[in-house]
Amino acid sequence: MAEESFLADDFIRQLMSVGEVDLLVGIPSYNNASTIAQTLHSVEESLRQNFVRERAVILNVDGGSGDETRQVFEQSSERREAGHKGLTSLRTIHRISCMYDRSPSQGVALRSIVAAADLLRARACAVISPATTNLTPAWIANLLRPVYREGLDFVAPLYVRSRFQGLLARDLLYPMSRAVFGQRIRELYSDEWGFSGRLASQCLEQDVWREEAVRTRPEAWMAVLAGSAGLKCGQYFLGPKTVSPSATGPDIVDAIRQTVGSFFWCMESNQPYWMGRSNSPAISTFGPEHELSADGIPPSQEKMFDLFRSGVNELEPILASILTPDTHAQIKAIALSDRAKFRFAAELWVKTLYEFAASYHHAVLNRDHLVQALVPLYRGRVYSFLLENANSSPETMEAQSEILCQEFERQKPYLLERWTGKN
Amino acid sequence: MKEVIIQGLRQAYSNLVHMFAEFLPRLLVMLVIVLVGLVVAYLLKTILRAVLHVTRLDRLSEEAGASRFLRMAALPSMTELLSRSLFWVTWCGFILIGISVLGVAGLQEQISRLFLLLPAIFVAILILFVGLVTANFLSRAALLAAVNAGYPSPKLLSWSIRFVIWALAVSMALEQVGVARQTVIAAFSIVFGAFMFGLAIAFGLGGKDLAREFLERNLGEKKREKYEEPQPL
Repeated sequence: MAEESFLADDFIRQLMSVGEVDLLVGIPSYNNASTIAQTLHSVEESLRQNFVRERAVILNVDGGSGDETRQVFEQSSERREAGHKGLTSLRTIHRISCMYDRSPSQGVALRSIVAAADLLRARACAVISPATTNLTPAWIANLLRPVYREGLDFVAPLYVRSRFQGLLARDLLYPMSRAVFGQRIRELYSDEWGFSGRLASQCLEQDVWREEAVRTRPEAWMAVLAGSAGLKCGQYFLGPKTVSPSATGPDIVDAIRQTVGSFFWCMESNQPYWMGRSNSPAISTFGPEHELSADGIPPSQEKMFDLFRSGVNELEPILASILTPDTHAQIKAIALSDRAKFRFAAELWVKTLYEFAASYHHAVLNRDHLVQALVPLYRGRVYSFLLENANSSPETMEAQSEILCQEFERQKPYLLERWTGKN
Repeated sequence: MKEVIIQGLRQAYSNLVHMFAEFLPRLLVMLVIVLVGLVVAYLLKTILRAVLHVTRLDRLSEEAGASRFLRMAALPSMTELLSRSLFWVTWCGFILIGISVLGVAGLQEQISRLFLLLPAIFVAILILFVGLVTANFLSRAALLAAVNAGYPSPKLLSWSIRFVIWALAVSMALEQVGVARQTVIAAFSIVFGAFMFGLAIAFGLGGKDLAREFLERNLGEKKREKYEEPQPL
């Protein structure tokens, strides 16, 4: 009940009319009129099939859509699968829709969802993206069930990935979060995840909702908070994921600003938690832990290398203020190397990232600028990865990914040294 | 004749003694004012330094990139610079008050003019500081955006932004102090106008292909082939 004050009166009135629930499914939306009806039907189908006795509510939180997303959500008729003979829900599945703001923000949307979960005393919650076009009823059940029945507090999804997609997650976010926070959550940044009512209450108590990192990508913060509070985290394999063509996701610059910026902020605000951790125990994983598909062709690489080289050259004074002279010299040296023989070694990549994180902590320059300065270096690393793995099998790539994770863990003392030392 | 000379010397000596008798107390008052000013200025400097340490101004200055320029100019940190500026402005104020107590004819008017200028000088320093910080921040933001988007000549863009903001800050500071007001406004208008005119010519003639491409990309139906990067997430 602590955070009800920021909720609109009408929204609170709708929540009060529902009463307490066991399950809550939140659907943050922004101009998703074309896909939200399908999402809603999948959620309802899942609740009818898998949670027959449970009280449930589906909550749409909208960021000011201009395409009648809310109307579609509210007016979409309940659809029962033809020929479905199994159990169906014994209770009414409630639907609520509200507009949290006139501009979209994942953080504000999540805040409305966790506040509603807290108010309705929901035991298990899931956040579902209406941009996902191949959402099945099983997905929702797989995110809710580990929380509701197995007692987990945070459930991240696992997806099938093409060999050359999701490189930011595979080459930076997962290995670094595993080494730093000791959490083996592969999809720290995703549009679907599950969480417990207990975690929702803890989130509400935090005074971080105005932070940019939480406003843009709150899911990683939630996972780190769960870990730091000693709550149980897990992940569930959902299969391949496709998104609506209108939701292409952020470009590389925005993706790095949002995810790496949020990741560094999580490091900054959770220092006591991660600085003492030296291992990364396995977490509950349902289904395969990873699955790379062999399809996909390597994307064009020429421009990527040019952008890396020009970035290292043009941003020299900025990089000099972030990196140690030795690391900076190594990066300048590889930028001069022949593009066919170019290698951005894992050791140098890890060292570079740890120095960026430490410089973020010491605020050697504006933090958003610092994160943006990482973009050309990331391009260099991706170029090197594509050169090395153009013909590699998924198994080989997974093995390399594991080696990179171990390199991050091996160099963690260096991060601590840079972090605690004076800049 | 001899007596007249002696009388004149006596008169001069008497005037001198009288002048000294009148001047010495004033000199002492002036010295006291200067000393009190020194103490007050020192106290103000210490208080300001403590306040700025608490507000972490140095960190902000470091983040905005202003500290790098101070180091390049062999200047102390931002906290130290502002607290020392306050010290000198305060002490100079007291010294001017002290000098005015001396009652030297003709100096009074000049001193009161100088005294009136002190707050304006302080405001001008502040304007320059804000201009420096803004110029560094915006030019760096432009540099990063241009480099990451792969635009040509990102440094030129960054330096152009820095130059325009500096020119604006310097002209505003000089305007505040009241130095050759008309000249400053005219000079700024000429420099700024010439700069914009140069850019217009450069874009229109030198970069006509780029301009055409830009217009086609944004207004025309023909879309440029987009550089596709692998999906990061």
